[in-house]
Amino acid sequence: MSMDLSISRHWRLRSPLYRLEGARCKACGRVHFPPKKACPYCGSRELEPVELPKRGRLISYTIVYAVPEGAREYSPVYVGLVDLGVTKVVAELTDVTDTSKLKRGLEVEAVLRRTRVDGEAGLIYYALKFRPSMGVPDV
Amino acid sequence: MTSFIEGVGMVKVERHYEKGLFDLAAEAAFSAIDQAGGASGIDYIIASNALGEVQDEQLDLGGYLASELGLRGVRSLRVEAGEASGLAALAIANSLIESNMADRVLVVGVEKVTEFQSAKVYRHLQMLFNSNSRSFYNAGFAADAGLLTRVYLDTYDVDRELLSYWPALMHSNAKENPYAMLNFALKPDKVSKSQVMADPVTLLDTFPLGDGAAALVLSSKDSVNNPLAKVSAIESATGLGSMELSDDPLTIDSLTEAYRRLQNVTSFESVDVIELHDSFTIMGILTLETLGLAPKGKAPELIANGAFSINGRGPVVNPSGGLKARGHPIGATGVYQAAEVALQVAGRFPGLQVRGAKRGLAISMNGLGSNSYVALIEGVE
Repeated sequence: MSMDLSISRHWRLRSPLYRLEGARCKACGRVHFPPKKACPYCGSRELEPVELPKRGRLISYTIVYAVPEGAREYSPVYVGLVDLGVTKVVAELTDVTDTSKLKRGLEVEAVLRRTRVDGEAGLIYYALKFRPSMGVPDV
Repeated sequence: MTSFIEGVGMVKVERHYEKGLFDLAAEAAFSAIDQAGGASGIDYIIASNALGEVQDEQLDLGGYLASELGLRGVRSLRVEAGEASGLAALAIANSLIESNMADRVLVVGVEKVTEFQSAKVYRHLQMLFNSNSRSFYNAGFAADAGLLTRVYLDTYDVDRELLSYWPALMHSNAKENPYAMLNFALKPDKVSKSQVMADPVTLLDTFPLGDGAAALVLSSKDSVNNPLAKVSAIESATGLGSMELSDDPLTIDSLTEAYRRLQNVTSFESVDVIELHDSFTIMGILTLETLGLAPKGKAPELIANGAFSINGRGPVVNPSGGLKARGHPIGATGVYQAAEVALQVAGRFPGLQVRGAKRGLAISMNGLGSNSYVALIEGVE
């Protein structure tokens, strides 16, 4: 499969993808992720980078079978809406060995994992995913 | 100021392997043009399409469509707002007429989604969401609907099975619509048993992949001869379009604002018919609740008890079958909705006709509401 995920795009997003770096608005105090050029809530451009907590709680989850092209080998893909306190994120969930554990309120922690491999171009893409908490998130 | 719909054309939503973008567009456009008495006086073509670049390697669809339709020289533009492209195109067309820049505008919505295997299309459809937050996970296009549905069920303590009455109603309506893709009945208990897309959302909760085209001729008061209906007002708003950014994901923020803006420019007590954006069951439910047509958490129960159906209480919702059963050719859908409502208020819908319909709404949005459009279409005497 030929390269269809831009390396430069992925590289530009390395702080959000590898460190969960979001933005905090100095005007209204709200945090959002990934960072925009202005606060999506109050519109102010006065933003500062902020690293989000690596532990949170599951608000919702889904088990995806209708996976996009290039991800068939990862099916089913687990996706969660995670509450990190200061803001929420949607990310892949990982290390799900027992689906009955997936429920609202489950404590989850961020770990760095592969998202996909582009064999032809020799590229491996990573991002932070969330796993049921073991007390040792990837910092 | 008002603009008038003079002619409409639709193609049956289907996997039209034998028809390309221009074939589909021409079928719908020629139908609309002929019904409107000919192409003379058409100042503008506004085309709506979302995936033309990635499915058919075509840019400037608006430009090329002109010559393809025998209208070389006519001003033309393609409008894209994801799933809301169709009503966005209508909004632009309407404003050209309102501002006296055009007397007659041909609005054509066209989409091909079947040029590739489904998994590739799922990747295309993922683009309907914010790319910075979705491109680098393997979530696909149905994950947000899955997450949102689960939030809904948890928040209101609703049984998943109760949601299944929505697809069942959509299919029941589509059965009568010759342009619908899935024109066959569906029993509610089949829905949860069908193939899982993104748990708890199944295949039967999800719009089918189908190609299509719809067109209409929009005219100014001075140019119109035989109007079917009038576009009384059309408004829109952008929104967060994101569960993770929203404080209240069960309310579609952009729809609330678009509807509020519509109520500022026009007054109406109630409408007789609504064609709304049920890309997934949950989006249909949330649209009803966001607009206040159903109390929060109660829409599924109301639907299960017959509300919003042709014989039930409230405006008739999606007599065409909606996105679920009439189908959802992404960028073209909004034009289908406008054409359907126009035919309803003209008493000429070829499927389930709402008796005595005088006022209707067409509601379209992209994703979870990054952009929402609401159009009020009314009958003419």
